[in-house]
Amino acid sequence: MPSIQQQNVIKGDNIMNNLIEIKDLVVSFETEEGKVEALDGVEFRIEEGTIHGLIGETGCGKSITGMSIMGLLDNNALIENGEIFFKGKDILKYSEKRLQREIRGNEIAMIFQDPASSLNPVFTIKNQMEEVIRMYQKAGKKEIVKRVMEELSRVKLPDVDSLIYKYPHQLSGGMKQRVMIAMMLSCNPSLLIADEPTTALDVSIQAQFLKILNDLKQEMHMTMLYITHNLAVISEICDKLSVMYAGRIVETAPVRTLFKNAQHPYTYKLIHSVLGVESNLEDLEEIPGSVPRLINPPKGCRFHPRCEEAKEICSKEVPKLKKIGKKHFVACHER
Amino acid sequence: MEDKDLSYENVRDEINKLKRSKSSQLSLVWSRFKKNKLALVGFIIVSIVVFIAIFAPVLTPYEPFDTDPFNRLKPPSWEHWVGTDAMGRDVLTRLFYGARIALIIGVLIILFEGAIGILLGIVSGFFGGFVDVIIMWVVDVLRSFPVILLAMAIAGIMGQGIYNVVIALGLVGWTTYARMVRSKILTIKNSDYVEAAYSIGESRFSVVLRYIMPNAIPTAIIMICIMMPTALIASATLSFLGVGVQPPTPSWGSMISAGRDYLIMAPWISTSAGIFIMITVLGFNFIGDGLRDALDPTTKRN
Amino acid sequence: MAKKKRYFIYRILRTIITAFGVTLITFLILHLTPGDPVKIMLGPYATEENVAALRAKYKLDQPLHIQYISWISNVLKGDFGTSIRYDQPVSELIASRAGPTLVLTGSGLLIAVVFGVLLGVMAALKRNSILDYFSTFQAMFWISMPAFWLGILLLYIFGLRLRLVPIGGMLGITSLILPVLTLGLRQEAWFARPMRAEMLEVLNQDYIKTAKAKGLKYGYVIWKHALRNALIPIITMLALRLPWIIGGSVVVEVVFSWGGLGSLLVNSVLARDYPVVQSILLLMAILVVLANLAADLLYAVIDPRIRTEG
Repeated sequence: MPSIQQQNVIKGDNIMNNLIEIKDLVVSFETEEGKVEALDGVEFRIEEGTIHGLIGETGCGKSITGMSIMGLLDNNALIENGEIFFKGKDILKYSEKRLQREIRGNEIAMIFQDPASSLNPVFTIKNQMEEVIRMYQKAGKKEIVKRVMEELSRVKLPDVDSLIYKYPHQLSGGMKQRVMIAMMLSCNPSLLIADEPTTALDVSIQAQFLKILNDLKQEMHMTMLYITHNLAVISEICDKLSVMYAGRIVETAPVRTLFKNAQHPYTYKLIHSVLGVESNLEDLEEIPGSVPRLINPPKGCRFHPRCEEAKEICSKEVPKLKKIGKKHFVACHER
Repeated sequence: MEDKDLSYENVRDEINKLKRSKSSQLSLVWSRFKKNKLALVGFIIVSIVVFIAIFAPVLTPYEPFDTDPFNRLKPPSWEHWVGTDAMGRDVLTRLFYGARIALIIGVLIILFEGAIGILLGIVSGFFGGFVDVIIMWVVDVLRSFPVILLAMAIAGIMGQGIYNVVIALGLVGWTTYARMVRSKILTIKNSDYVEAAYSIGESRFSVVLRYIMPNAIPTAIIMICIMMPTALIASATLSFLGVGVQPPTPSWGSMISAGRDYLIMAPWISTSAGIFIMITVLGFNFIGDGLRDALDPTTKRN
Repeated sequence: MAKKKRYFIYRILRTIITAFGVTLITFLILHLTPGDPVKIMLGPYATEENVAALRAKYKLDQPLHIQYISWISNVLKGDFGTSIRYDQPVSELIASRAGPTLVLTGSGLLIAVVFGVLLGVMAALKRNSILDYFSTFQAMFWISMPAFWLGILLLYIFGLRLRLVPIGGMLGITSLILPVLTLGLRQEAWFARPMRAEMLEVLNQDYIKTAKAKGLKYGYVIWKHALRNALIPIITMLALRLPWIIGGSVVVEVVFSWGGLGSLLVNSVLARDYPVVQSILLLMAILVVLANLAADLLYAVIDPRIRTEG
């Protein structure tokens, strides 16, 4: 296993290379009411050292995309098609054991939506941090405790020497989420997936949390997939952005390009109806119609029932993602 | 909290909606239940047992009390499919009549303990306060006793017989119903629309009853299926311990007990009765399980 | 810590009140029945003198509450009265019979918990596998058999047909096998299913995903992160099952002629030896009440969410 320094060198060499590339990912779920096609041909790539945003309404499949990368989908999920190239290797083909040994933690780590439930309630912070550090480092007890405190200070947690002996329920939501970040960063992963990490936090805490993420991005040159339904957050920390609708990526572009020159009708509506006023996608009422249920999704472009520009072809053929500019991709028949 | 239109018509409407959603929920439960193969097997088993219980006199040429001193402890044969017992009675006939006794006792127990439990649960949930505290105290106290032992002591004092078994088990077993009904009532009582109906001058009691009553019969059937295994096993156990239904009445429990002395010579007496109890209880358990999964599908999936 | 202290005090007070109720019920059992309790006790062939003597002894000519007070103060002093059948202090009878019952109930409980937890956890880990269906079905199978019938069946197969074990009585470890198996198998079923549900619930929790996302080994995630959480409710389950286990052990004692409290209780019920019946019932119920208290307090000590509460 390469040492931490070596890993950093590798990271440094490959700047602007794709760290991870997801191709035509199709995932379905078996439920009581029938088969749900949660992901239908998801495609995007994340460059080293960037923060890639993944935005969409609740239920569009953003979290499922994150879980697919981690190999942590629920039991009733079925990956029907696709490839996930991580550092050139298709990790979707990896066995559970190999994923756990080679990928999870040391290569890709993940933070979840609800800090209240993502830490184990019956162990202290110290206990839960230690087991990570012990995996990657042989050291004495004192040394490890020192490392735990260092990692926790890195996410600006106060009073770490007493904090480590506390249980999760004794911490606030923001603190728990910071512990989660510290815990995942102490794995020293190449990619960090953050699944709506601020959704469960108060607005004031959100800002503080985003600042910590931003600092870490500067300091550590971190690669990150940031999943959210909150546009304001995206504009604050992301470099590139993929917009998801009903299990498909409809547009991917650098954040600036996307905000100035959104091409897909959904993205356009999204940005113009929402930006500057209320940046929460959940309140998106300006677009007529509602998010389709994925048990029986619309044929062709899944957005066509709500699209003002829809033509006949839109209800028949699935639009492919096309390159229309520098790093700008869109899936629309009209573009 | 959002404002709701609490006009009389609207409240009426909402209450009806609640009722309707409740009944469509029942049809969903039924459709889930039908898909459950094990539950279907249970349903068939129970139907057969009920059939046997009803038509016992037609199904066998013998009488359950007819002794035959010349045919004692005879092994299974064409004349006596499951052999005869120590008094020369046809075992199969007694098993068939035993189904009658078992089901009658089971249903009576559930009706009796259900009546006590539901009544006390309603009183407890409605009036709250001191009455609630007292009733729940009695529940706590009764639940500290092993059901079968307390019932045995009571039945032992009252003497043997079907009704004493029912009374003894009913006096001890009502606590489950009381707790369930009480918590259900507390949930309904605190729901917005009951609150609202109350505010427009309807009594809380009538609203809650109106909410519960439409489902009373299906709920009762579900309850009987779920509680039947316990009632059957408990009453058989009392018979076995010698304080329940006693010979010559053909109860499965006392047949096992009586056959115990002839286990080597005539194992068919005890074993056949045991198998009858087991299969009947299994049938009810399959149904109960199917019902539970249908009522709360989350426990099975995910 | 004030909140927790208050909880403890509340819980202990409740236990005392429940225990008081338990003594009331055991006392009243005899008195609620129609007819003269002394005549019931002594049977139809009692002489007038005997009846009068017994009536005086139990203060049966006095009002009910006086009787209760005299009975309960004797009980608190350790005097449970005298057995009518054996003409021996009940406390002595109980002391001589308690050992075998404790052995039987304890081993049955141990088997039930160990196998129940094991099967439940494995069924949850290998959900919808053959093992899972087997676990569900065997649980259903055992709970569908009355304990006495399962006991007789085992006795018939292993004792009478195969002659592997003694058919009853207390002749060393081999005669313990069948009674413990009868008790344990039936009770195991009641642990396996909740344990499976509990484990599935825990496995679905985010912190298990966190543990996996950290790259921890599967076995370690299950053993440390999942099992620790899933096992906590077992304490409550144990206390809840205790009355049933005690009830089951009484039946098992009768089937296997096990000379413990259970067979003494059943024989005393049949012989109308009420001082013995009352005392054994009282002891068993008090044991259950105390076990519930212990479970609640233990829970508060083990679960850090409650332990470290302000």
